[in-house]
Amino acid sequence: MNAVEIRNLSKNFGKKQAVNGLDMTVPMGAIYGFIGENGSGKSTTEKMICGLIPKSGGIVKLYGRDHTDESVRAKIGVLIESPGCFSGLSVWDNMMLQAANLGVKDAQKEVVRILKTVRMEGAAGNKYKNCSLGMKQRIGIAMALLGSPTLLVLDEPLNGLDADGMRIMREVLTDIVKDGKRSIVVSSHLLGELQKVATHYGIIRHGKMICEMTADELDANCRTYVALKAKNMSRAKSLLGCKYSRVEEDEAEYIRVYDMTTPEEIVTYLYGNGICVIELKTDKIGLEEYYIDLMKEGR
Amino acid sequence: MENAVNFETVGFGKRLKSMLKVDFQRMFKSKLFYILIVCALIIPILITVMMTMMDGSVSVDPQTGVETVMQGPENAWQSIGTLPTDGGETMGGMDVMSMCNINMMFMLAAVFICLFISDDFKSGYAKNLFTVRSKKGDYVVSKTLAGFVSGALMLIFYFVGAMLGGAISGLSFDLGTLTAGNIAMCIMAKVFLMLVFVSIFVLVSVAAKQKAWLAICGSLGAGMLLFMMVSMITPLGSTVMNVVLCFAGGLLFAFSLGAVSNTVLNKTHLIY
Repeated sequence: MNAVEIRNLSKNFGKKQAVNGLDMTVPMGAIYGFIGENGSGKSTTEKMICGLIPKSGGIVKLYGRDHTDESVRAKIGVLIESPGCFSGLSVWDNMMLQAANLGVKDAQKEVVRILKTVRMEGAAGNKYKNCSLGMKQRIGIAMALLGSPTLLVLDEPLNGLDADGMRIMREVLTDIVKDGKRSIVVSSHLLGELQKVATHYGIIRHGKMICEMTADELDANCRTYVALKAKNMSRAKSLLGCKYSRVEEDEAEYIRVYDMTTPEEIVTYLYGNGICVIELKTDKIGLEEYYIDLMKEGR
Repeated sequence: MENAVNFETVGFGKRLKSMLKVDFQRMFKSKLFYILIVCALIIPILITVMMTMMDGSVSVDPQTGVETVMQGPENAWQSIGTLPTDGGETMGGMDVMSMCNINMMFMLAAVFICLFISDDFKSGYAKNLFTVRSKKGDYVVSKTLAGFVSGALMLIFYFVGAMLGGAISGLSFDLGTLTAGNIAMCIMAKVFLMLVFVSIFVLVSVAAKQKAWLAICGSLGAGMLLFMMVSMITPLGSTVMNVVLCFAGGLLFAFSLGAVSNTVLNKTHLIY
């Protein structure tokens, strides 16, 4: 049974079609990275899954049941746009209110447990409005985790987090799904971070799902490249550019050769032209580059 | 099956109980609520004392030269409702006491309910709530009941303030032809009438969502239409009939406008 199954979903805002015949499958236990450009329909899709905006057409099933079913809705935790906290109340009070709303048994214990999960146990007494952005994102996850949901829908939970905040968030997300009973749909523009946690991906463009794959499939699809540093970088780059079709310099000032070739061939070629290679490695493109390539192909 | 998900359906009573618990907790932790309650207590004291002090003072219109003698309250009950005089006529008119009386509490309730509901949408609480609780009717019922209780408390505090104001000003507490039962019925009728206003305010607020200013303007505008009728429907000489009529009206409005509010929530976007 899949956690989310969407078929031919559409949403119109007046004449504008935000989501156009979207299909999506999120298996149970998956961290589903939902990727797309701004305005591609990610948030709209997530809001429709949660029943926050009515759909114009299509089918949304959660655990095999219609998404409007009261019993299945109780199994969703959501972090879309904001955590849903009252700014004048403390983190603890906000959590307790949400726990009361959901009818959580043994609420105090449960809130303590969840605050520990999101590494926020020390900040329970802080007023929500005084929390940092990173803390607010984690409080949002904590609010979403109340009531033991089996499906979490998180819209840009990594936004505005510092390196440590992102590490904590990654740990939190992997902790949540480790029992295999929970699934997470997470959208983010920080693809490098997403790649570290996601087990499945869905790439949306102009309201249509252009591809869905597992992390293994992504790995298999990602091209290998040769990266090198040479003594005369500019000459090396121009020489390689003459022989190979795609040669680029990355942020770390490595020359990358994406063509099907071997490191030996490149080194021999450069050595033959009087260039000494001082560093050489092979690597695979990441999700970010794969996504950029995919978007370029579509244009 | 190892990964089976257990689904439970929560009954209406349990859902409403949890929602009411949250609403009352929020209400009693809200500064705004206490500010409005203090206002409800202080306003009648200030008005009664001020009007008593100004009783008999003469003001002259500089253009027409017409003299107006300021008329203070004759009775402590006057700020609660219209008082039948010996001749059976009511003390109506557009003096300050007929405007600044207990009926102002319907306006305070409008402010509280509009801000209370808009805060739900502004903070994202409503979004969290409607994700896990798809039945919008629960929300409407809970807000109507919480709003009704807050409005009723404002009326009661106003009553207490009016009595204190009357005592401070040394006004007469003479009931004349009325009985204590009439006063009790008058207050009860006003409390039940609050349900009519609350239903309107809830509807306007759920339609306006996070736009608090729109909700307040809309609620006060809609409330104004009924506001002038309050003193007629709930005079000081109210009987059981007034209470029953206000109760029935309250229920009628609560159910009908509650159904409209439910439809508004179901058909509109809960998040932008």
